[in-house]
Amino acid sequence: MDTQHAVADTAPLEAHEDGVESRRDGSNKITLGAGDYLEGKLTYNGHMSVQGQGQAQGEFRITGNFEVSNGATVKALIEGSNVTIKGDVEGMLTARDKLTLGKSAKLNGDVTVKRLQIEDGASFNGHVRMGSFEQSSGS
Amino acid sequence: MTENETSVVMLGPRDRLIGELYIEGNLRVSGTLEGQIEATGDVDVTEAATVKATVAGREVNVSGQVNGAVTASKKLVIGRSGSIVGDVRVPRLIMQDGASLSGNVSMGPKVAAEFAQAAAAEAAAPVEMAAEQPATDGETAQEKAKPKKR
Repeated sequence: MDTQHAVADTAPLEAHEDGVESRRDGSNKITLGAGDYLEGKLTYNGHMSVQGQGQAQGEFRITGNFEVSNGATVKALIEGSNVTIKGDVEGMLTARDKLTLGKSAKLNGDVTVKRLQIEDGASFNGHVRMGSFEQSSGS
Repeated sequence: MTENETSVVMLGPRDRLIGELYIEGNLRVSGTLEGQIEATGDVDVTEAATVKATVAGREVNVSGQVNGAVTASKKLVIGRSGSIVGDVRVPRLIMQDGASLSGNVSMGPKVAAEFAQAAAAEAAAPVEMAAEQPATDGETAQEKAKPKKR
């Protein structure tokens, strides 16, 4: 419940209300498209996707999946279940389940993941920590 | 690079090598390996293998356990049963789902350029010189490749 308020408070999405859609199954999704820009802290109960030439900067803690499409740029601390990157990402990243780097992905930063898949062509610089999530990812 | 006769070293599941190995050719490990290995060709670490060594090769395939730094001048493939604990320096990296990796990863054009430079130096200079060169180059480039943010 709190997260719903957090969304309203921290996500400056007023110009793109249509980007926030509520699904019948209760899973929410934020989609940033071309020209969209998000800066700030977001704690969100749902999925988040940055597409097209979309840009995002800040701190995103997502209960669902996080996706960065080809062409999109994200500079942030990212936390999500399944994280899929096909664009440009800089920052610390935590995937509670799986991190996938697509062939067009560029990632600079340290990652903590349970599973990791890297496709040929992806570029990655940083430290990898794999394993369980007993420790808090805040460190 | 090695158009002339290439040797192939194969270590079976019951074979063990402890020490330092340099070969102008390919290496395939299914056994135990400890120390330091460098191959000018491809290195294959199969599912049954246990490697506690720094590994350097052109194309490195890991399906077994590797404990140590891995360098590949062309690319590194970590198979779904593969596991690497150590730092990785490669121009290209392919990691299949299920594979495990713990360590620093440095890759991309910067690393590729560095390997090309090392190869050029090797072609120009005698072997001993070439062996020295990439080591010193590697250190400075690794510093630069490290992410600034922590």
